[in-house]
Amino acid sequence: MRTRRSALTALALVLLALVTAASAAPPKDAMVIGLLAEPVTMDPPQITDLNSTRVIKRMFEGLTAQELGSYKIVPGLAQSWDISKDGLTYTFKLRPNVKFHDGTALTAEAVRFCFERQMNDKGPYYATGTYPYVKGFLGNVAGVEVVDPLTVQIKLKAPLTPFLQYLAHHSLYIYSPEALKKFGKDIVKNPVGTGPFKLETWEPGVKVVLARNDQYWGGAPKIRQAIYVPIIEAQARLAAIKTGEIDLTMDVPPDSLAELRKDPNVVVAETNSSAVWYVTLNTRHPILKDRRVRQALNYAVNKEAIIRDILKDTAIVARGPMSPVYGPYYEERLQKYPHDLEKARALLKEAGYAGGFDLTFLVPESGSGMQSPVEMATVIQANLGQVGVRAKIQTMEWGAYLKKYLEAPDMAEMSWNPSIGDPDHMMYMLLSSDRFPPAFNAGFYQNDKVDDLLRKGRTTIDEKTRVPLYKEAQKLVVEDAPWIFVDHGKQVIIHRKRVQAFKLHPNFDLVLTQVWLQ
Amino acid sequence: VAAVGGGGLQGYVVQRLLLAVPVLVGVSILVFAVMHLSPGDPAAIMLGAQATREDIERLHRDLGLDRALPVQYGRWISRVLQGDLGRSIPLGREVLPEVLVRFKATLILTAGALAVALVIGVPAGIVSATRQYTWLDRLSMGVAVTGVSLPVFWTGIMLIIVFSLTLRWLPSAGMYSPYGGNLADLGWHLVLPAVTLGTASAAAIARMTRSAVLEIVRQDFVRSARAKGLGERAVVGRHVLKNALNPIVTVLGIQVGTLLGGAILTETVFSWPGLGSMMVRAIQARDYPLVQGGVLLIATTFVLVNLLVDLLYAVFDPRIRYE
Repeated sequence: MRTRRSALTALALVLLALVTAASAAPPKDAMVIGLLAEPVTMDPPQITDLNSTRVIKRMFEGLTAQELGSYKIVPGLAQSWDISKDGLTYTFKLRPNVKFHDGTALTAEAVRFCFERQMNDKGPYYATGTYPYVKGFLGNVAGVEVVDPLTVQIKLKAPLTPFLQYLAHHSLYIYSPEALKKFGKDIVKNPVGTGPFKLETWEPGVKVVLARNDQYWGGAPKIRQAIYVPIIEAQARLAAIKTGEIDLTMDVPPDSLAELRKDPNVVVAETNSSAVWYVTLNTRHPILKDRRVRQALNYAVNKEAIIRDILKDTAIVARGPMSPVYGPYYEERLQKYPHDLEKARALLKEAGYAGGFDLTFLVPESGSGMQSPVEMATVIQANLGQVGVRAKIQTMEWGAYLKKYLEAPDMAEMSWNPSIGDPDHMMYMLLSSDRFPPAFNAGFYQNDKVDDLLRKGRTTIDEKTRVPLYKEAQKLVVEDAPWIFVDHGKQVIIHRKRVQAFKLHPNFDLVLTQVWLQ
Repeated sequence: VAAVGGGGLQGYVVQRLLLAVPVLVGVSILVFAVMHLSPGDPAAIMLGAQATREDIERLHRDLGLDRALPVQYGRWISRVLQGDLGRSIPLGREVLPEVLVRFKATLILTAGALAVALVIGVPAGIVSATRQYTWLDRLSMGVAVTGVSLPVFWTGIMLIIVFSLTLRWLPSAGMYSPYGGNLADLGWHLVLPAVTLGTASAAAIARMTRSAVLEIVRQDFVRSARAKGLGERAVVGRHVLKNALNPIVTVLGIQVGTLLGGAILTETVFSWPGLGSMMVRAIQARDYPLVQGGVLLIATTFVLVNLLVDLLYAVFDPRIRYE
């Protein structure tokens, strides 16, 4: 009996300890962010995923930057720049007295070093990593020259308007050359940048702790620590934000949003994004090569129903490839494809397919930015069935899917959320005939006029001349209907009430410099 | 236990370890083949829509993926034999320290789950065996069948909804709270994942315990013990259970393997920073070196646990000799 009683006492003590641990109040100047997964690496040129960029953008900066809340390019580590008349030479003046987190100074030589590491595959530090974007973003760079300690000149092979946007991409961020020399390949877990936060600890799988950089040139941030924890399961993220275990998170189950909006302890912040969700149609397919058929499929799909019933209003209808986030470049007066079964049937009849036809519909089980791919495919399949098009769904795991996607499927789901705020990065990337597979124009869409406009757009610097090019291209693309345009996903962030001054950024970044805690 | 040559216990262990080598080589070939032959390309997954032909080709070259498969396997296995498991493709980190750190977390979870399984499973099995065909037996076996049938991810999410979201008693994710990191904190975070993972095993152990105990209870020495006037508790505790231990230990050994496998889903549901949640991500990214290294580590553990179980037989049953 005695042993039983002491066992009970011990149990009670353990429970008490657990409850005490549970009720520890969160610190007033540390903020916890629940990510979908932990960062993969902290070496800017090697990063390809959103979770990593959401963390490392707090520690590193590029020569240029995007203004918070828009895609407008503003000075970053370069305080000013000059572009030569022929559009080939970019001269950057660096901010003076900027220090990396290891105390070394930001110089023109450091900029040259960082670019050189990726570009020169015979260079001494090339083997310290692999650089997924080097050809895409630096392939057009002829050379980088140090003019004086705070002036760096970049020469291009051909004019390229989005280049200033490229410089704001994380793969061209500037890091401490001394750190790279010291850590070599292990630079992936030893980030040394110039940004408002620096790495304090990284416990793999557990948490990443960033500490405020009091020497930050733009003024130290208000919070002392930013703690990132990976929470893979959506229900677990929901539980953690509701109980206050974490201060900010994203991608909770859409069904829970209505309830969260009523919760007095949390704020649901949402905004349009540049993402687009679409179904690629193979324009070389014997039936789909007829534009009328592709238009008919666009009329047949009930996008409003998908957004309302599956996505719970976390998206807006896509009229074309570009979302309203692109500001002046967005063409509002696009031909619409409202849900119109009569029109769809008429177009199919006109094309000679009144009796319908069969297609294979490739669908991923899940995937980066893919929203609810299987449920959405089921609705699309039912919609197409109403006009006689028999789509056979074939689902696949994401990795296998990406391979199959580039092997000319009849129709296949895809989404794209460009990290670069230039229309080129949407239109040229996905719709130019220069970008047939293995690049991402997977439907082999080709319209010489569109190609021409998009190539011109890449080299036109003046915005006034440039805007009409993209507006015209959007009109042509929508008429040609190489995709079923479905939706532009909204960016939805949930944070606790105590988080103040948080502002969403169109490319899904989580900027913390201005944030403070109540 | 088969006799495998002379040398007593020591020789037996050495021979068992030598026999493990071909097993592990087989595992290495299998996991390499499965990973490399399944569709998907780490470069394409990393690059996504921004891919250019030049970048994909350059990545393949830098990662050595442009070589013939046997050449790639040869290069990998010769480095493995020197203790170098390579570097993860997207992480850029060395595989060995990475998998070892994660393995520690998996072991903590597995130990917790095993404790849950034993504490529930063994008493439930004994009770239903000694009260055979009573309502208590039917209830505990009914619960056991249900427990075995419940998928781990479902149990996990249900426990999160009830105990984290609704009752707010326990945390929903992670191994430590974001601010803390002491032992109590770990224990508090361990409860839900360990219960989730342990439930299915508890059911399996309960059923095995029941049948093992039932078999022993019918034997003559038990009747003699009872005839001697021993109390029921002493009969079961001192005589029955001791003799029923071997089949229970066998099922425990198998359960360790099941738990290591089940940990993959449990860790994903609870964001437990173990080998399982890491492997899921590595497989999705076609991170060949990391998956291969992780599987080798799990296979090695399984081989060692099996050996340990075989050695334990002799402890519980002195009639068994290793030669």
